[in-house]
Amino acid sequence: MIAGALDSIAVEMGHKLARMAYSSIIRESEDFGCVLCDADGRQLCESSQSTPLQSGPIPGYIAGINRRFAELEHDWKPGDVVIHNHSYYGASHQPDVGFVVPVFYEDELIGFSATTAHHLDLGALTPGSCGIVDATDAYAEGLQLNAIKIEEEGRRNDFIWQILRDNCRAPQLVVGDMEAQVAACKIGAGRFVELIDRYGLETVKNASEDLMDYSDRMLRREIAQLPDGTYEAEGFLDGFVDHPDPSYKNLKVKVAVRVEGSEITVDLTGTAPQVDLPINMPFVGTVDIAIWVTLRSILLDAWTHDPVPTNSGLFRAISIVAPEGCIANPTFPAPTIARFCGGNIIADTVMRALAPVLPDRVGAGVGNLKVVAYSGFGGGQHWVYMDIQEGSYGGRYGKDGLDAVDTLYANTRNNPIEDIESHFPLRVTQYELLADRGGPGRWRGGLGTTREIEFLDDAGYSLEGDGSVTPPPGLFGGAEGTPGAVLLNRGTRGVLELPSKFPYRKAAAGDRLCLISPCGGGYGDPLERDRDAVREDLIDGYVSRESARTHYGAKELE
Amino acid sequence: MPVVGVDIGGTFTDFMLYDAASGAVHVHKVPSTPAEPEKAMVSGLAELCAAAGLAPRDVTGVFHGTTVATNAVLEHEGAVAGMITTRGFRDIVHIGRHQRPLHYSVMQDIPWQARPFVQRRHRKVVTERVVPPIGEVLTPLDEDEVRVAARELREEGVEAVAVCFLFSYLNPEHERRAATIVREEMPGAFVTTSADIFPQFREFERFTTATMSAFVGPKTGRYLDRLASALDEEGVSGELHVMMSSGGVASVRTAAERPVTLLLSGPAAGILGGQWAGALAGRRRLITFDMGGTSADIGIVTEEGVSEASARDTWVGGYPLLVPMLDVHAIGAGGGSIAYVDEGGAFRVGPRSAGAVPGPAAYGHGGSEPTISDAHVVLGRLDPDRFLGGRMRLDRNAAVAVVEKLADRLGLGLLEAAEGILTIANSNMARAIRSRTIEKGHDPREFTLVAFGGAGPLHAAEVADSLEIPEVLVPPHPGITSAGGLLTSDLKYDQMRTVFQLQGSVDADRLNRELDGLAAELRGWLERDGVPSEEVVVIRSLDCRYVGQGYELRVTLANGPFTEETLNQFHVLHEREYGSAYADPIEIVNARVTAIGRRPTLDSLPVASGSLEEALVGENEGFFRLDGNLQALRTRFYDRSLLPLNETLAGPAVVFHLDTTTVVPPGWNVRADRHGNLILTNGGAS
Repeated sequence: MIAGALDSIAVEMGHKLARMAYSSIIRESEDFGCVLCDADGRQLCESSQSTPLQSGPIPGYIAGINRRFAELEHDWKPGDVVIHNHSYYGASHQPDVGFVVPVFYEDELIGFSATTAHHLDLGALTPGSCGIVDATDAYAEGLQLNAIKIEEEGRRNDFIWQILRDNCRAPQLVVGDMEAQVAACKIGAGRFVELIDRYGLETVKNASEDLMDYSDRMLRREIAQLPDGTYEAEGFLDGFVDHPDPSYKNLKVKVAVRVEGSEITVDLTGTAPQVDLPINMPFVGTVDIAIWVTLRSILLDAWTHDPVPTNSGLFRAISIVAPEGCIANPTFPAPTIARFCGGNIIADTVMRALAPVLPDRVGAGVGNLKVVAYSGFGGGQHWVYMDIQEGSYGGRYGKDGLDAVDTLYANTRNNPIEDIESHFPLRVTQYELLADRGGPGRWRGGLGTTREIEFLDDAGYSLEGDGSVTPPPGLFGGAEGTPGAVLLNRGTRGVLELPSKFPYRKAAAGDRLCLISPCGGGYGDPLERDRDAVREDLIDGYVSRESARTHYGAKELE
Repeated sequence: MPVVGVDIGGTFTDFMLYDAASGAVHVHKVPSTPAEPEKAMVSGLAELCAAAGLAPRDVTGVFHGTTVATNAVLEHEGAVAGMITTRGFRDIVHIGRHQRPLHYSVMQDIPWQARPFVQRRHRKVVTERVVPPIGEVLTPLDEDEVRVAARELREEGVEAVAVCFLFSYLNPEHERRAATIVREEMPGAFVTTSADIFPQFREFERFTTATMSAFVGPKTGRYLDRLASALDEEGVSGELHVMMSSGGVASVRTAAERPVTLLLSGPAAGILGGQWAGALAGRRRLITFDMGGTSADIGIVTEEGVSEASARDTWVGGYPLLVPMLDVHAIGAGGGSIAYVDEGGAFRVGPRSAGAVPGPAAYGHGGSEPTISDAHVVLGRLDPDRFLGGRMRLDRNAAVAVVEKLADRLGLGLLEAAEGILTIANSNMARAIRSRTIEKGHDPREFTLVAFGGAGPLHAAEVADSLEIPEVLVPPHPGITSAGGLLTSDLKYDQMRTVFQLQGSVDADRLNRELDGLAAELRGWLERDGVPSEEVVVIRSLDCRYVGQGYELRVTLANGPFTEETLNQFHVLHEREYGSAYADPIEIVNARVTAIGRRPTLDSLPVASGSLEEALVGENEGFFRLDGNLQALRTRFYDRSLLPLNETLAGPAVVFHLDTTTVVPPGWNVRADRHGNLILTNGGAS
């Protein structure tokens, strides 16, 4: 009963946050998280609308705030609201701003109500909060808010709100979204107290322990069934393909998954050293979440398992090792703002490492994502719009890969074309599946998309993405998928090929930016693919006649 | 003016006949004939008329709740459907919102990818483009391409076509022209356009709605035709009408054109039946609780009427659907829900169900897993001899055996395990109710729980207890409340259009034209249905938000032309919904019109009653938790039809209806009111 009540509270928080929010990144893309934690900062529940990469890091935010408070001898007080986005104090990365409200019951701190959300612009060097791929250190990423009481014992600090308003480019959207976050935290805190009023503090505490123990038990049970041993895989980030220094390109992610009894250690030793450009990944908030979400999505796959409550109990059986100074555990002030795609490669590499022992529960290599910040300035105001292009899954045991989806450790939504064009000087000119590019396999790799957007006015844009160099690997004899690409069509001035990451560029009205997703790897020998499935793919245009012949040996289809 | 409500379910077909002139009401229930549903309807109707002393030709209207479209979606058994869409956007219905339905799953299927309504081979693209903000034509429609596409679809054996163009909600002309061409090239095919169903922005959701409509259209149309002609042959003079998800009824013709409006036809009828019963007793704030064999449907009624789902939250079978629907929340908890211990040792109930076959162990048809119904039998709340008015005997030993097996695994006693099943099921239902009330700002303690369906009255008082709901109402004929609900609704049609206008620069003339145009369209539909114009009521509203927000709140307009001052109401609504209002400008997103064609509807029922002595049919041990302990208590058994009026009886008691059973736990009282309701009240607050 208490588990259900806790979930309902988090869902209500998410519902209110999405409805009150101003920017499409929250209200349409759902790039936010809502969580209740206990007094130790352990997660008890999450809202179902949250993307895992937002709700999962919240305990890390609270631990980071506590660490900062300890350094400064601050303490939680009733009526406080804390804003936090410091990536070396538990924040997932700088744009994901956390708001935390402590929950007191009869003068005792009994928990926290917290929300995180991706904000459009927090004062980085160029407009937007993605594609800031030229930031050379954390300071260049924009505002760093480290455990700041934006409300102190019930008093709102208007000066801090003013600093926020003065330091971001789309203040109405950003501050409106932050107000929605604060409101959602307060709703959660109020409901948490009502829950305790109803059931009593001891009962709620005991039930919380039981819930975490239960989730822990469920995960350990699955781990214990795996043979002990070490399972390894490698993956590669494009990095900065146009950089003159080779140490910025083709950055390795090395994963060794050690299974011992009911515990798993994921060791990232051998992963590329950190760089002074922002694709390093916060160890707490990105790396840990990528690993944890992936392991749970495989071991406690919600498609095949009874639902398991999402809470901090699910972390207990998992340890993570990453040497300091590598891209998966950078040293301050190394920049991290563009860490998203790297996290996806960690997730994908962990999944492939487990393939030999869990062949029927993993997929081949996943196609990575791209995020574009479109922006412009007119009538004294900035507009900023973040567009997320999906990736795709590799083939899976018994099933083709999922087409055109956010992948593994995140689960945002795209923004409707009819919303984009109604609010920004942009026109979507194509959004379709990429035929014939899924990795051939007994179970074919999923298809990504081609998404082309035309600038109707002079404007600007920047991109963070990955997957234009290394194709998503195949599995068990399946072929690799296809890398993505980025093209700028300038009409009579020709087509320009761009790298998978670039900082702010100016666009002229009429320019078209075309993003091609990487497509997932194949699973199993394509010659073993069901003949009917090959034929159906051909009829639907998912594979070409040429590919049916060469990859699938479908001579009878001549 | 006798009218009949017919609710065709998977197991039973329920009837209620109401004669407004005499006030007479007759009810009837026959087994369904799923292969040819019209058979049960026609034979049942004939029997009903005979019992009422009427001829079928005397019946002036038949109102129907149907699951045919719903089943087509859930079982994915529909037409070979095609789609014609804007060039460059062939796969909108496949890509969706690029979000996976489950966060934590590698092996999941995505419904619209694994089971598309239109396969990619039947998705054709044509050159055309309409652009915002006012629906200007950027690229004219290439009519030749449409013709070619239609011919290809015809050759591919496609029977139904959805025409889906971007921004058609701003300017539907291209879609309409393309649909005309398709009809020329594909005579007899079902053709729909995305804007004609519901012209609202968000292309994935609107296109999916249109393709779903094409998918279920031919089947639904044929079904409704069959029903209508069977009634015709039977000599029924009145027209067939169908309940829509919105809680309004539509003529067969309108329903067949927009079959996606029927997906919650049955559950909507249930909520309306609950609302009607509550209104008889003067209750205006209701939680309707319709629990059957496999699932329970929950709806909310307030002074403002039945709660409607927000268009962003409406899903059927895992697919989004942009049509007006009552806010029905279904959960997998019914009498047949199975109790089990999961791998982690947690005790769970449902959503897996023993269904009608084999059914609960107590049915004696070979059910080997413990269900909710078995728990009731073990606890003495279902009497093996009086189930369904004695028409079916229950096997208590079989129920005990399966619950005992579960009890052993849990290390509990038999009775504790049985009670545990009910407690878990009740708390699942309480949670669902909480999510429809507390999360939306309603305090359940201010509501009456209206319980019906085969299992609702068994659980209602204990569910109410856990939510501190003070009162439970069990309607007359609780097993066929939905059939009654069908007789309580007016004809009601909705139409809307996305307009995107900003406070301060609203083109009031254009907006008024839009509203007038929508109203005229709906008046035309009602006229076609034969509703006299003086019986038509038009309600106009605007979906508004602060500019930049993504979700809208509905502002109802007074009569007369729109003026900008009206928008100030929005601040009040926002404050009420979210606890705050802002100074930001307001954006009008959608203009909306509802037209209601009033008709005579079900009033109150004649009520039978008897004396306490007659009603008391037995007494036995029942098990209830009292002061923290599970105890055997003397439990009185009453026959519903013989209960005296307005006499309060104390629990523990069990009341046997013809088609369901009401449990009155210790601490609760029950009385029969003069409208045929049972009113259960908690404690001394009788």
